[in-house]
Amino acid sequence: MIETAGASKERVISIRNLEMSYGSKPILKGIDLDVYEGQIIGYIGPNGAGKSTTVKIMLGLIEGYQGEVHIFGRDIADGDMEYKRRIGYVPEVAELYDSLTAQEYLSFVGELYGLTQRKADHKARRLMAKFGLEEVYFDRISSFSKGMRQKVLLISSLLHNPDILFLDEPLSGLDANSVMIVKEILSALAAEGKTIFYSSHIMDVVEKISSRILLLNGGQIVADGSFEELREQSHERSLEQIFNDLTGFHEYKDVASSFVSIVQEV
Amino acid sequence: MGTIRWLRILDPLRGLFERFGVDYAMMCRILEIKLLMDGRRAPTIIQRSGKNADPDALSNQFIKSLWIYVLLSVVLLPIIAMKINLMFQMSLVFGILMFMVTTSMISDFSSVILDVRDRNILFSKPVRRQTINMAKILHVIIYLLLLTGALTLLPLLVGLFTHGPLFFLLFIVEIILMDLFIVALTAALYWLVLRFFDGEKLKDIINYVQIGLTIGMTVGYQFISRLFNLMDMNIAFAPKWWEIFIFPAWFASPFEWVLSGSAHTYIILFSVLSVVGPLAAIWMYSLLMPSFERNLQKLASHQARGRKSRTGWNDRLSKLFCRGNIERLFFRFSWDMMGRERDFKLKVYPQLGFSLIFPFVFMFNMLHSNSGFAEMRSGRSFLFLYFCALMIPTVVQMLKYSGNSKGAWIYQTAPLTNSIPVYKGTLKAMIARLFGPVFVFQAIVFLFIFGARIIPDLIVILLSVLLYTMLSFMVFEKELPFSVPFQSVQSGNALIFFGMMLLLGVLAGAHLGFTFLAYGKYLWMLVLLVLNLIAWKLAFRQVRSDRLQRL
Repeated sequence: MIETAGASKERVISIRNLEMSYGSKPILKGIDLDVYEGQIIGYIGPNGAGKSTTVKIMLGLIEGYQGEVHIFGRDIADGDMEYKRRIGYVPEVAELYDSLTAQEYLSFVGELYGLTQRKADHKARRLMAKFGLEEVYFDRISSFSKGMRQKVLLISSLLHNPDILFLDEPLSGLDANSVMIVKEILSALAAEGKTIFYSSHIMDVVEKISSRILLLNGGQIVADGSFEELREQSHERSLEQIFNDLTGFHEYKDVASSFVSIVQEV
Repeated sequence: MGTIRWLRILDPLRGLFERFGVDYAMMCRILEIKLLMDGRRAPTIIQRSGKNADPDALSNQFIKSLWIYVLLSVVLLPIIAMKINLMFQMSLVFGILMFMVTTSMISDFSSVILDVRDRNILFSKPVRRQTINMAKILHVIIYLLLLTGALTLLPLLVGLFTHGPLFFLLFIVEIILMDLFIVALTAALYWLVLRFFDGEKLKDIINYVQIGLTIGMTVGYQFISRLFNLMDMNIAFAPKWWEIFIFPAWFASPFEWVLSGSAHTYIILFSVLSVVGPLAAIWMYSLLMPSFERNLQKLASHQARGRKSRTGWNDRLSKLFCRGNIERLFFRFSWDMMGRERDFKLKVYPQLGFSLIFPFVFMFNMLHSNSGFAEMRSGRSFLFLYFCALMIPTVVQMLKYSGNSKGAWIYQTAPLTNSIPVYKGTLKAMIARLFGPVFVFQAIVFLFIFGARIIPDLIVILLSVLLYTMLSFMVFEKELPFSVPFQSVQSGNALIFFGMMLLLGVLAGAHLGFTFLAYGKYLWMLVLLVLNLIAWKLAFRQVRSDRLQRL
């Protein structure tokens, strides 16, 4: 399933020289990126590297950036929100209106994407059942565990059959079996030509499911390619090591040993 | 999940909304969901996580509380009905209205205006900003209308009958203008706070406003009666330039102008301001809206403040008052919890406010009905200081509640063998942090009023209150501090509270009795000292140490 930047594929996202800063603090320092349909992009980087910011800019949640962002060939700054109809989003923090029941929340989100209430409800219910959450469909989300909330978020991002998915730590809180299901869902969706933009801190998962890995550090893309390509370039074995290498972090052993020595002080 | 039918009343305006670029059906849907959620904001989250999707979304805690506002508005009636000086009367009316609407607005609708979830959930969807913003504005307007409607229903009717239809119409117009002004002012307040501080600070400020509202309501009504006495005097009102800063005066001026026919320059100027001011404020608000939305993001984030670790008061006090490390630890822990936890503060600090104010309120009432200050000074009115202990049973009982009660797992996992020091530390921290400052402040004021002769009495009062605290602790069912969620506050303790109030009366009575004996108060002081020692020994005997396991 490895394929990089196939020229025959349609280009769905195109970012040119994207810069963003909060106050005087620069977050993104010139990102250039082309994403083609059917790719699963692992978007990784240390905390504060600008991953979430990039995603939020593409979703129109953050304004005031410099540079150009085109999605489905249209500049997202042109004020037309229609492109969002083809995007699904799972935010990093499980933010939902949790005083609603799963049914109410999901059909509401479906409607926001332009589905009819009945259709959204019907679809959401069947998807919940597939995740084994049939029983709690009419319960309030506030009573849900972290894993259950995450499943509700995933369903809410997929109800309208989007062409691009932005997933921020989509597996957090899920048990091992659910992780398997979700990973399988993602590769099946990619095979259908959907584009998946996946950011996570769990390198093992990124390594396995991504067809293309983007490493962001200090507001810039420092690595771009399939896992095999990155491995060849850096002569490291795992993505974790590549990550450490490229973000210039080598002293993890020192940090760990001094940490343990502080623990043992008592 | 039925549609909320009364939203249909907006249907005739559909065309207007659409002209603003609003997707009408979508806006109604968002509004509906928001109202549905409000209906569930009532603190009944956990008990029934059930099959009940409230069919009647407006069976909402807020709606139920509206009749209280109707009741509160009764005080406005005499102010409106009497015919002394329209400008003065209406300034007072608008002053009270503005206070109530603004504080309720901040304490109850902040969650509406400041919902950060909206950003991720709504903005990432293919819905236009105009639609989302309009839904939000309508949401606030609906509540504001209900609130002001409840508050002004009776005043409007009374105004109609006593001052005629012109007054009635003018009143409606000015109320609407006042609402606009308040919305813009509140938003401006949030905008300012968010610009310079982060979300935590704003939450603190909202918290203090809520506390202030609770105190202001209660105490304000104590003083309303004073006000009427004031009004017996014939007030000749001459507008002055500085009244331009008193917003209620703006809204009162048109009444003076139109109905009393006084065409003073200031009156006309204020009248114009009452129209122009709100409209300008709303216009500024719409200009600031984008920057407001940007700053809202700060609510979710938190800047590290890089503060020095403080080893201040609580450390020193814990060493002074507590024996043993565990007791000290819980003294400091409770000290911090009492100062930090917003839910706790919201429940308890108003009580403190009452404690702070009630002794004075009663004393002033006394002063008013009795002969004079000099006589009071030499009398025994300092016994009113006992009123400051009224809050103690409530606060002692509140110590077990917390908004983050789930954090109580640390009691089980930490190697604590004995829960007695936990209770001791917490109680001492309560006395030192909550009761202490109130008492010290009042003692100083009372010393100024009554002179040094009451020092022994102050000591007696302090000892009585300490005893009272221990008795309160013994009376209530004991749970580990901060380990029970607020949702489970039971209200079945009314009888105990009443009993405790009587007991306070008994203590004050005993004090009064002993003052008639020669050296009586010193004797009573000694007795109290002994009783205190016994109480401290006995109170913790009933605390079973297996409490920790049982939790």
